[in-house]
Amino acid sequence: RAMVFVLSEAGKPIYSRYGNEEALSSTMGVMMALVSFIQSGDNAIRSIYSDDRKLVFVQQGPLVLVSVSRTLQSEQQLRQELLYVYYQILSMLTQVSITRIFERKKNYDLRRLLAGSEKILDRLLNLVESDPGFLLGAVRCLPLPASQRDALGALLQKAITPNLVFSILVAQSQLVTAVQERAVIEECRLEPTDLHLLLNLIGASSAFQAGEIWTPICLPRFNPDGYFYAYISYLDAECTVCLVLLSTDKESFYAVSDCKKRVEEAMRTQGSLQVLSGGLQSPSYSVGQVGVPGYPGELPPAAPVHQRQLSSSPSPELEGPYCSEEEQQRLFDLYHYLHSRIHSTSRPLRLIYHVAEKETLLAWVTSKFELYTCFSPLVTKAGAINVLTKLLRWIKKEEDRLFIRYPPKYSTTPNPGKGTKGGRPDGAENGFFAGL
Amino acid sequence: MKKPDGKVVLLGDMNVGKTSLLHRYMERRFQDTISTVGGAFYLKQWGPYNISIWDTAGREQFHGLGSMYCRGAAAVILTYDVNNLQSLIELEDRFLALTDTASTDCIFAIVGNKVDLTNEYALLLERADESRPEKPVTSCISTKVQKQVHLDDAVALYKKILKYKMLDEKDVPAAEKMCFETSAKTGYKVDYLFETIFDMVVPIILRQQAEGPPQTVDITNYKSAKRTKSGCCA
Ligand SMILES: Nc1nc2c(ncn2[C@@H]2O[C@H](COP(=O)(O)OP(=O)(O)O)[C@@H](O)[C@H]2O)c(=O)[nH]1
Ligand SMILES: [Mg+2]
Repeated sequence: RAMVFVLSEAGKPIYSRYGNEEALSSTMGVMMALVSFIQSGDNAIRSIYSDDRKLVFVQQGPLVLVSVSRTLQSEQQLRQELLYVYYQILSMLTQVSITRIFERKKNYDLRRLLAGSEKILDRLLNLVESDPGFLLGAVRCLPLPASQRDALGALLQKAITPNLVFSILVAQSQLVTAVQERAVIEECRLEPTDLHLLLNLIGASSAFQAGEIWTPICLPRFNPDGYFYAYISYLDAECTVCLVLLSTDKESFYAVSDCKKRVEEAMRTQGSLQVLSGGLQSPSYSVGQVGVPGYPGELPPAAPVHQRQLSSSPSPELEGPYCSEEEQQRLFDLYHYLHSRIHSTSRPLRLIYHVAEKETLLAWVTSKFELYTCFSPLVTKAGAINVLTKLLRWIKKEEDRLFIRYPPKYSTTPNPGKGTKGGRPDGAENGFFAGL
Repeated sequence: MKKPDGKVVLLGDMNVGKTSLLHRYMERRFQDTISTVGGAFYLKQWGPYNISIWDTAGREQFHGLGSMYCRGAAAVILTYDVNNLQSLIELEDRFLALTDTASTDCIFAIVGNKVDLTNEYALLLERADESRPEKPVTSCISTKVQKQVHLDDAVALYKKILKYKMLDEKDVPAAEKMCFETSAKTGYKVDYLFETIFDMVVPIILRQQAEGPPQTVDITNYKSAKRTKSGCCA
């Protein structure tokens, strides 16, 4: 997979995937030399292609991110991957702080502040390369009957305290429901990217049920310069169901912890944990469920579906030849390739019918959804379209179960005494919220 | 929930083993791959009391959350890595100031962790053998190194803390009693550390309770503090 390095403008190593920075510092040195050489000509390097690999550079403020890859991934995707890494670093430190730190001291060793978080970045990169949600900019959501999802949303709506902005319920990294403060304006809703970063941070930390976490966290797409204070707690002994409450008040731990107790209590009376574990045990959906008539030797259509405004993307359980990890990775690389073709900046496409060596792939993008499917190499174009039509019909029917359509809201009544400060992430000076 | 009666805070640089110590004590095991996001709050039943323990990440000063974690604390456990002198220096430079919001009669413990990695470890074990029921895992100690920080250094720091807090040595527990060396990996002296601290916290809880509930004072404190703060904030 892609090697990824992060270094400071002064050439200090900050992060490297696979291995310690000391051992790789010579590689870093070469890269730095390259970067500074081309920068000096007012002409930053974007990428270098050699016979069998690509080097992609991204500079964000005082950080330089580099990816070295031999896969099918396009430059654009590698760049996206690097941006995710950058955003994850911001989620821990914020953009202003990083800028300020390096303004004060050009050769600051940022690892002083990031020690221990290598695991978070390692995990992020593994996800970016294997979870279709990252490719599509959508978060996987736990399939659940709409009535049950609504009930859980309603329960979160009731457990509130001043300055609470987002309440998010997650089961094994799949979104169950997310409720948000009404004052957060439409364009600034919880972004899938931010949610990915948040869930990755949680997934990478040691889970143990006894503890409650209270930590500053920045959602860089929402606001790269401000902190929220995240309350994170598991609700079951197996640490599968996790409640995340985001507040703008760093002192509100006890009040927010109390909200969790109310959620826990209500979930107990409603038997919600059983509902969720039921939802987790049933596979997200199988090809059989879709009711597509079998073609001889047909491969499963693997269909990460994404409905733009809904931020959610189920994919079927991979079957047949795609059980092994290598095959899954290979398939995913193919999807990556199609994704880059379809979203090519120079020549974007709406539909691709791609006949590969071992399978035939079909990718389709409309204003409402983005669909990637994979068929046996023997499929005909008409046959594939026929399957797609059936699949889309099934998805339409199951829409309420598969997607979160209308995220519920609450009003945590910004305390009038606190004036306009209520409902803003700490340190935010931008008008992200309505009604200011 | 019953409000916690007393508060204990673990402070110290990243990677010194704070989370591992707490894991070892609460869950009776050691996990090599632990990463902490910010602060984590735990409750421990100690006799009739509920003691809350805050594990912190080591970035508190940067994030400005240290005072929140420490407010009203009855005990602060300052943790360093015996193989890393800088981690002891950081305690004084970066972490001591965070304890300004702790309770006035807060007790301080200084803990040097990861002794299992040092060449003195076998010696320490012999000395403590009778009192230890658990067998240490000696097989995982392969690369022993010369210890970088000695107990004397910790004692010296303890005395500096007393000076900083303007406390008289006669009024507080003796330095020798409050400087510990532990291994979260083998469990060496971990129970002893926490249990000693909890026992010492009980009288503080009793006094705090006699003077009024500390946790509610906590919240009121914050409200008045915030009001004045927003008054002067641009
Ligand atoms: N050998 C040894 N390693 C330890 C010990 N305590 C922690 N570690 C390791 O040191 C690293 C940091 O530990 P952690 O508890 O996360 O430190 P924290 O940042 O202070 O919470 C981890 O890799 C632990 O496995 C110990 O007593 N002995
Ligand atoms: Mg920790």
